[in-house]
Order: sequence, then C-alpha cells, then structure tokens
Amino acid sequence: MSTTTTQAPPGRRSITATRPLLGWRTVDILTITFLGAAFGIVFWGWALAYEPLSKAVSVAYVPLSGLFTGPWLLAGVVGGLVVRRPGAALLCEVVAALVSMLPGTQWGATTLMSGILQGLGAELAFALLGYRSYRLPAAVLAGVLAVPLEWLFETFSVPASWTDVPLLGDLTGGGAWYGELLLRDKLAYLGALAVSGAVLAGLVGWLLTRALARAGALSAFPPGQELRETGAV
Amino acid sequence: MTTARLGLVEVEGLTWRPYGRREPVLRDVHLTFRPGERVLLAGPSGAGKSTLLRALAGLLGSVEAGDLSGSVTLDGVAPGARAGASGLVLQEPGSGVVAATVGRDVAFGLENVGTPRALMPERVTAALAAVGLDDLPLDTPTSALSGGQTQRLALAGTLALDPSLVLLDEPTAMLDPGSALEVRSAVAGMLEREPRTLVVVEHVLGPWVDLVDRLVVLDADGRVVADGAVGEVLSAERERLLAMGIWVPGAPDPVALPLDAGLVAPRRPVGDAPALAAAPMEVTRTTRLLDGSTRTSLAARLEEPLVAAPGSLSVLVGPSGSGKSTLLHALAGFLDPEPGDAVRVTTGTGPSDPRDLAPGGLARSLAWVPQWAGSTIVAGTVLDEVLVTSRVVGADGPAAADRAHRLLDALGLGHLAGADPRELSGGEQRRLAVLAALHHGPPVLLADEPTIGQDRHTWAAVVGLVAAYREAGGAVVAATHDAAVVARAGTVHEVRAPVRDRPAPGPRRTPLLARCAPLALLAGALLAVPAGVLSPHWSTSLAVLATQVVLAVVGLWAPGRGVGPTGRVRGVLLRLVPGALAALSVGWSTWWLAGRDADTALTVALRVLVIVLPSAVLLPWLDPDRLGDHLAQRLGLPDRTVVATAAAVHRVHTFGAVWTEIGRARRVRGLGSSARHPAALVRHLGALTFGLLVRTLRAAAELAVAMDSRGFATARRRTWWSPAPWRGGDTLLVLLAVVPIAVSVLAR
Repeated sequence: MSTTTTQAPPGRRSITATRPLLGWRTVDILTITFLGAAFGIVFWGWALAYEPLSKAVSVAYVPLSGLFTGPWLLAGVVGGLVVRRPGAALLCEVVAALVSMLPGTQWGATTLMSGILQGLGAELAFALLGYRSYRLPAAVLAGVLAVPLEWLFETFSVPASWTDVPLLGDLTGGGAWYGELLLRDKLAYLGALAVSGAVLAGLVGWLLTRALARAGALSAFPPGQELRETGAV
Repeated sequence: MTTARLGLVEVEGLTWRPYGRREPVLRDVHLTFRPGERVLLAGPSGAGKSTLLRALAGLLGSVEAGDLSGSVTLDGVAPGARAGASGLVLQEPGSGVVAATVGRDVAFGLENVGTPRALMPERVTAALAAVGLDDLPLDTPTSALSGGQTQRLALAGTLALDPSLVLLDEPTAMLDPGSALEVRSAVAGMLEREPRTLVVVEHVLGPWVDLVDRLVVLDADGRVVADGAVGEVLSAERERLLAMGIWVPGAPDPVALPLDAGLVAPRRPVGDAPALAAAPMEVTRTTRLLDGSTRTSLAARLEEPLVAAPGSLSVLVGPSGSGKSTLLHALAGFLDPEPGDAVRVTTGTGPSDPRDLAPGGLARSLAWVPQWAGSTIVAGTVLDEVLVTSRVVGADGPAAADRAHRLLDALGLGHLAGADPRELSGGEQRRLAVLAALHHGPPVLLADEPTIGQDRHTWAAVVGLVAAYREAGGAVVAATHDAAVVARAGTVHEVRAPVRDRPAPGPRRTPLLARCAPLALLAGALLAVPAGVLSPHWSTSLAVLATQVVLAVVGLWAPGRGVGPTGRVRGVLLRLVPGALAALSVGWSTWWLAGRDADTALTVALRVLVIVLPSAVLLPWLDPDRLGDHLAQRLGLPDRTVVATAAAVHRVHTFGAVWTEIGRARRVRGLGSSARHPAALVRHLGALTFGLLVRTLRAAAELAVAMDSRGFATARRRTWWSPAPWRGGDTLLVLLAVVPIAVSVLAR
C-alpha cells in the first residue's frame, strides 16, 4: 500500500478532488446519487409550496414567478461543490428530478427533461472554470447558468407564421408552459430565473455546502478537507 | 478459487493520520495473523479499531484522505488486490444493504467480479446456507428482515466472494441479545464449514471469548498495547481493559456515576399525581408506499396500565420488533393509540392528551430520547444543545447556563461545550442527548434503549444521570434489553409482538403495467409531453385525455387468477392531485390574463392534465433495481453510476422515516412549526431538510465502504443477477403511448 496524499494548496484556491478528476471513487458516486435522491424529495415538497407563491406574484406580473425556481437548481450546484468532478452537477440534478417525479408532480415526465437541462447548465459553469474553483462566485455562476436551457424549454414555441410548414406546423398551436408570453416578458422571465438561480441556488447552495462540512458530513470530500485544514482538530 | 484461500495477514509499521487531525489514529501497528486465526480486537472508543479493520480490508482511503505509511498485506499482496478477498460486516444493520431483494443483495459481489449469471444462483444459495438463511426465498425483500437477519445477510454477501479474511465491526452492538446470539451462531457455523481468518471488533467481550483464540488491545492513541491468547490477556490486562471501559467477562456492573440530584430536578413541584399515565392500548402503524397504496398493521399492544409516578422507573421489555419503541412513541403523543384517550400527561392545567399539546407544552410535559442519539441534535454547539429547550420554556438565564456547564463537566463533556454536537462520538452524543432532554426539568423521561451499544464509562454516566433525575422526583419509562437496567426498575411491562396479519395466501394478480419493462414505462410517460404540446384546442385535448383514460384502464387491469391488487385507482388519483391543482391554477391565471377567455384557459389547463396523467399511471410501477438492469444492459449507461442510482432510489422510502424522526425530536424539544409564524415554519423546514441531508450523506459514506469491500471500486465489467428482457408487451406499451399523439394530430 502506498502513501496517499491530496494536495492542500495554501491560500485562497479551492481544494480539488483527487486526481484523476474522472476517477470517481465509490463514495463520490453514492454521495451524488444519495444527495440527488434527498433533493428529489425536497423538490417535490417545494413544488407544493411553489404553486401558491408563484400564483401570488403572477397576479402582479407573470414572469415574476421565475423568482421561485431557484430551489430546483440546488442539486446541481451542491453536487458540483461537494464532489468537484466532471459530471457531478449533472448527475445530482438528474437523479433529483427523477426521484421528484416518482410521487407525482404537476409537470409529469417533463420534470426529468428539466432536470437534464438544469444539470447541464450547472455542469457548464464548473467546466468553464476548469473544475478548479469552488468558491462563492463559482456557486453563483452555476446557479445562473443552470437557467438558460431550462428557460428555452419553458418558453420556446413555434411562431404562428410556420403554420404551413409540414410537421412543425403541428406545433404552432401548442407551446411550452410560458409559450404564450411576449418576447419582452419572456426576457423578464429569464432575468427573474437568473436572479433566483444566483441567490436561491448559488448563494444558498454555497452556504448549505459549508454548513454540511461544519456538521462533519463531508469529511470524505474537498469541502470537508478545506474546513479541517483551516482549523485542525 | 478454493486453492487460493489462505488468510495470512501482515501489518507492518502502519500509521494513519486523516487530514485535519493533528494526531494519527493508528500508530506504528505491527501485527501478523496466521491463516485461520480468530482474533478479537478491543480498545476504548476512538482507539482506531474500525480504522484498523478498514485498513485490513484495503479501504482506508476509500472515504477519507490522509497520510498513510507502513504496509498491510493479505497473503503477500494488497488486501484489495482480489475483490472480496477480505469481507467486512459493519455495525449498523442495513447500512450495507445494496439491493431490494435477498438474492440480488448476496449476488452483488459476484456481479462486481463478472461472474457469469448462470453460476450465480448456486453460489448465492451456498452463501445463504452458510449463515443459516437458506430458508428465505431469494426474492424476499431485504426491508422485511430483522436486525439479526440483516447482519447475517451482510455476512452471506461477503461469503459469496469466498474471502480468506472476514472482518466484523461490532456486528452485534445494535442488536437485542437474541438476535446477537443468532449472528454469533452464524459466524461459528461459517467457521466450522471452512477455515477463514477472522477479526472481530467488540467492546462486550464475553460472548465472543469462546469463539476466538487471540485478543489484541489498542489504546486511545492507536497503539497495540496487549496481544496474546485470549484467556491470558484477559487475566493479565483486566484492570487496563476495565479502565478503557471494555466489558470484561465476569466483571461486576460498573458503578453508576454519582451526580447531584439538584442539577436535573423536574421544574414543577413534585406532587403525588403521576407525570404520565396510560391505559391498556393498541397502536397500529400505517405505511404509505411509493405507489400511493397504504398498508396498516397492528404494531404494538400495552396489556396492563402504565403509571409513571414521581421517582419511578418503568421498563418495557420484549424481543426486537415487539413494539417497545412504538409504545414509547404513543406515550409521547407521536402516534394515535386505540382507544384515543389512552395516554394522559399531567400539565399545569391538569391531565392532557400529549397529541394536543403545542411543542412548548409538550416539552414541559415530557422528554424523549430515541435509540439514535445523533438524530435528536438540534443546535450548533454542545452548550446550545443542552440549553435549547430551557430557552423555549423560559427556564434559561445565568443559573441555567451554569447548571449546564456543571452537568457537562460531570459527564466528561465540559471541554466540548463549544464543539459541534454532530462531530461527537456515538457515546458522547448519547450522554449529551439524555442531558439535553433533562436540563429543562420535564416531569417524565421516555428513553429508548438508553444503554445499548455503550461502553462501561458511558453506561455508568447514563445510568447515573437517570438515577439522579429519579432521586429528584423525575419519572422514567424506558424500553430496554439491559438486565442491569431492568433490575433497577419498579415495574416491568412485558411487551409481546402482536400477531401480524399475514398476506392472503395463493397466487396474486398484478396489473399489466407491473409486468412491463421500466424503460417502456418511462418512454410511455415521456411520450405524453408531445401529446399535450400538440393539442391545439381543448376539444382535441379532451379527446386525447379520453384516449389516455381508456389506455390507463387497460394498463391497470390485472387479469389472471388469485388475489387482486387494491388501491390502484386511489393511487392514481392521489398522484394526480398536484397536477390537477396546477391545471386549475394555470387555467385560472390564463383566464385572468387572457381577458377572461374561457376557451384559452381550458386549453391550457387540459394540456397540463394530458402531460401529467400518464406519469401518474405509469411511474409507480418503476422498480429501481429493474430500472438499473435496463439502464445498464439495454442503454449501456455506466454500470457503477446505474447501480448507485438504483441504490439511492431504493433508499428513498427510508427518507420519510428520517424526516419524521427528526420532526418528532424537534417537537419534543419544544421546537416546532406553527402556521401562525411563517418564519418559524421556514426555519423548521430548513432544519428538517438539513438533518435529512446530513443523515443521507452519512448513509452514502457507510454504503460506499460496504460496496467497496465487495469489489465495487474495481468493477469494470459487471455482470447482472437479472437479465433485462424486452418483451412484446413492452413494444405494445410504447406503441399504445403513441396513440394519444396520433389523436392530438388527427382529431382537430
């Protein structure tokens, strides 16, 4: 058995996962799927609270309901912050979406698609940072980038002028959840989603990860190690 | 494979310091175990016994990073070189369960090393026979096993890989005496069949002495301080072992820690009225399953009245599963007894039903300590943990804080006052839990197995604390297997396991959907999305919806002979509630925004229903294990990710229980939610969520160790216990799921 060490870089850099980054340990995979499952239950609960909250603000201005989307983006942010390996954010968000749709939600199977799109967005943020930074700005970026694909999915609808186009023409009457909104309102909705993602997913996810590390639940992961190296017990 | 088995263990100069700790957990350990040797490993709490076991299993770095030096070899190579060469059984029953059925669970290691499917049943059956579980059908749900059976199942799971070294980490610490005996007999039987090297960690030595040849003792610094034939070490090192808190066979019970009764006195003047009284009662338990159906069974029965008079100790005794914990829950008002008015607690205004009390009032009337002390933690520091409830009931102040410090000092926790309670050891958490339950002076304490799994020191502390509380007039009701606690009791209530309703015999019919492949179910649910989006008008949606309802009726039909399933329609309706609400609110807001246009509103609302209905019908029949089979074998997704996802989905049903338990712990500590205070509600939900996440992460780390000890880390080309068949019915399901899309396009 050889000596194993993980670099503990001094100063303000984040501690990354053990190399190779794609060499997922069992505890990495299990933690991501278990976290995802737990978040799935939370997502399901939030769906119940979301309905009255979003309706209340919709009376004033429909796009404001995007302000309450953030909690559904948490799994990707936290998964990425904890395990710090490529794919962690995506997998965590997808498992959460899968679990949250099992008991029955108001969105049925589209929940799974949303999970994939949101997870991809958060994953993109960590990839852009080279899987090297996991400080607060990275968390906020992940929360914000979890939004755009989901926004497209929710607001995209085929223009009415395509009525005569074969196949696509069939789609013109329908559309996504917010397909009927004007472009201006769709953009406002994007803004509301981004704010929600930055605060309720990015900031809250970062705080949550820190609190989990303090509770001693992340000793196997870089956040736990960061905490311990700053105040060894 | 039998020729390769030896079991020679050589440890040389092993030192291990996890990152973030100043001192190593193991220091310069040198040990050699001969093939077939049976070793008992003992030492005080925190001595690194479990760490040494993980090193012997080659799993030291699997969940923690740190500095490691020295070497460990098994038959001359690293312990992890052959998957499953060393098998590990963990302390908590169920922490290593990886699958939903017994057969699949035992086969897990075989799958990891790529054993052909055809060879698996024979090896699985042999492993189950070696631990005396061969009477269980292979499709028995793992969740239906008792604690002792679950530990034997874990042992069978390691035996399937034919280990030369078997490692047991306090395998009976959490079991009642009967189940513990069952596990030890299985270990003895296993060793009789085939010689294997055995290392057992235990702090109750007595029952293992006859089973082992050698005793190795580690001290608190992680050094080997005694090593030799078990009888010799026991007599030569007796005093040292006792000082470490180890239960040495033949030693008298430890003396209860003397405590000043004034420190834990109940607040209300002690009168003659009982703090709590219960009439004979029955408690039924209703489990809600993921598919929406419920199962109700008689869980516990109190046969004679129970009176908790000031200064008394009443104990509930009986085998595991007889309902002792359930009765305590009913006494604390967490469950409904039958008759409904069976339980009465004395409050300032007279007798009350504990179920009717607000959290603060409940905390003033009683205290409850569950078996898992870690789950009752509600505060961020040890001192706050002690003071939380006192603050709620208005009993805080400098005197209360001073009393808390004195109690912490008396229990050896004084230096930890500022630490996070979740970071404490199990024994420390247990002492803290009892202390935190009593500090605000409730008149009665309900304690669930207060002494199980404790070493002599923590045992003396808990028993001393309870004795001081009784002396000051507190009443105690405890569920226990501990003979020394029973001996101190004034009243003993025998709890007998109620006769459970057996499931109706004979063949059982299942709905057509239950026979479908998980991928077909998932595809069916997803195909509803285009059907909904493509519907241009509510009239079309209505036609689509009608088609879907007809298809649902066909899918839920259970043809054949035998007992039919129940609650199918109810389940679908229940899962449709969120969707229906969403349809209503979307429809309403569209109506409001689109200038009171009922046409548009109806279109949008029905579109939601079209998308949601198939999910509500199809997804409950998605079995996590089978979904895993299909995702890996049919779609070729990465094996390890698929297995981990199935394991996580499989555990979802335990999350509800964790959530409930944390909620109860908070309520009885006076911290509840109230609809009148939204901020308190948010805080409460936040705390529950956080508690759930912490427990989930712990479970994942434990399971990772269990899986890695069965070759999961190195599983590259897995085989699968079950095939992933795609039958004609599955194709038919997908084709039928396309029909609503066709309707949406054609019926315009």
